[in-house]
Amino acid sequence: MGSCITLNNLSFSWPGARTPLLSIPELSIDQGERVLLRGPSGSGKSTLLSLIAGIHAPAPGQLEVLGKDLGQLNQSARDRLRANEIGYIFQQFNLLPYLSARDNVMLSCQFAPARRMRLQQQHTTREAATGQLLDHLGLSRSHQQQPAHQLSVGQQQRVAAARALLGSPALIIADEPTSALDEAHRDEFVKLLFAECEQQNTTLLFVSHDATLDRHFPRTIELTRLNQATGGGT
Amino acid sequence: MIKLALASLWNRRTSAWLTVLAISISVVLLLGVERVREQTKDNFANTISGTDLIVGPRTGSTQLLLSSVFHIGALNNTLSWESYTELQQLPGVAWHIPMALGDSVRGFPVVATTTDFFDHFRYGDKQPLRFLSGQAFADETHAVLGAEVAAKLGLNSGDELVVSHGSGGTSFSDHDAHPFRVSGVLARTGTPTDVAVYIPLAGLGLVHGEYIRADERPDHEHDHDAADEPPVYTLSAVLLGLESKPLALRLQRQINTYKGEPLTAIMPGMALQEFWKTLRLFEQALLAISVLVVATGLLGMLTTLLASLRERRREMAVLRSVGAGPGTIFGLLISEALLLTFFGVAIGVGLLYLIIVLGGTAIQDTIGITLSATAITLNEWYLMAAILIAAGLLSLFPAWRAYRNALADGLSVKL
Repeated sequence: MGSCITLNNLSFSWPGARTPLLSIPELSIDQGERVLLRGPSGSGKSTLLSLIAGIHAPAPGQLEVLGKDLGQLNQSARDRLRANEIGYIFQQFNLLPYLSARDNVMLSCQFAPARRMRLQQQHTTREAATGQLLDHLGLSRSHQQQPAHQLSVGQQQRVAAARALLGSPALIIADEPTSALDEAHRDEFVKLLFAECEQQNTTLLFVSHDATLDRHFPRTIELTRLNQATGGGT
Repeated sequence: MIKLALASLWNRRTSAWLTVLAISISVVLLLGVERVREQTKDNFANTISGTDLIVGPRTGSTQLLLSSVFHIGALNNTLSWESYTELQQLPGVAWHIPMALGDSVRGFPVVATTTDFFDHFRYGDKQPLRFLSGQAFADETHAVLGAEVAAKLGLNSGDELVVSHGSGGTSFSDHDAHPFRVSGVLARTGTPTDVAVYIPLAGLGLVHGEYIRADERPDHEHDHDAADEPPVYTLSAVLLGLESKPLALRLQRQINTYKGEPLTAIMPGMALQEFWKTLRLFEQALLAISVLVVATGLLGMLTTLLASLRERRREMAVLRSVGAGPGTIFGLLISEALLLTFFGVAIGVGLLYLIIVLGGTAIQDTIGITLSATAITLNEWYLMAAILIAAGLLSLFPAWRAYRNALADGLSVKL
């Protein structure tokens, strides 16, 4: 099983800042791994995630995602990589409020030809796969048709998970997706997400400052221990 | 992308509708003004056709045109009956319509002429005059009314009317000793013919005391030839029709250098064009105002789009997370602006036709502007294309802002 994310002397600072925000000597996450990334706010979590997701560019040679050196890809190549291979779940407000739950899920195929191709190889259509995923995640058919803003927060997060998963991307980044949920919903959400990731053999990078989630993950990374930069940040 | 833009606009439909409304109203104004301008120009050029030369006393061409065709203003000079007889004998003259102006019926101009007027006068696309009721005058006590006069004064064939001296609405000298009887009413033409009263030359001579009926002449016993006695001494203008058009130029020079008395001959088409040119400033002012109104509409859209960017940062972040590049965000904003403008223009055109179809007659009755629901002209297509292009160019600004935001915000949005 190959490596999904490889950090090698990653050092990142915002333009104009004197001290780096992130300075990570080494980190490797294998494909299919489920990793909990923990760190208090200000430890550089968001910055690390946006680097991995390809929003911001690191220096060449410092960060590889799915074997690609992000420092050598240009903006649109990184956007393409994210569209095709990375599913992203926000803490909250994941959905376009004016689209239905289904349309929100299918949005992830809009800019991702590779996802569409994989669905084709699985002999299924975007619509069918969307319905199936939402079924698995426990969203009733009538809820699937509803505009996103009419769904509860828990339902919205499940739709967001379905969007991230549609078309079997290699990596799911979940940025505190459960912090707006109560405990019962949180556990159920994590369980469902795990099940789907396992089925698709998707790497899961799950960010949370919630200590009680530890037991669900085979591997936990403390960012404060990993990050040797002293600058701090958001 | 278009689907996404539509859905997003629908989500903000109140402000979107208001924007579309503002644009559509400005489009109604712009196209309306353009249409009024075009159609007024056409109406104007359609007032007279088939007449090759207008001959009058020595005066300016615009003045002669205005008084003979539009019955506006008075000519200071007249042309003598003798000159008129000379004109008739010029080579190549096919027909001639004498006109004596200056009197009025309750503000409507009176045109004293001959029945040749009804036979030879043409307007629009060489259309002849038609009688709505009755017929041309048969003797010197008859009058023929334009459609508008008949409607406004409530007169019909057989009714009596009194001609006043001068062209004012009320006159101190009514020629009430010589009333006229309406012999016919002309069908509507949309030209100044509608607002004129036509009487025979002899009738005018009668009320002015220039003409005495043959049987009332004191020297009746003397055998004067009645045909030698002119019905009036002087005329205001003569319309000439020629056997062939190219003759007009030569004849014009010949008349302008006529030795008997100073005369002016004009070619109506050219004179109309010349006169229309003097109105260009007014035209351009109207156009400038409506262009500014369109600009206001588009600026309103720009404001709305810019204001919406702040509340849409979350939307942009979601789109970025599923892989949309900053270029896509840029395109999204441009397509939104184009969609808003497209709907604005489409609704504006619809509104314009609705107004013309429903209110066309009301507009004509109240302000006298004739609008017809003809197909969209090439010029109007150009205007609409120009609006869309302007909208596209304006939207570059919010699109660029959104592009910058998308790059800076990435996936993290400070709410």
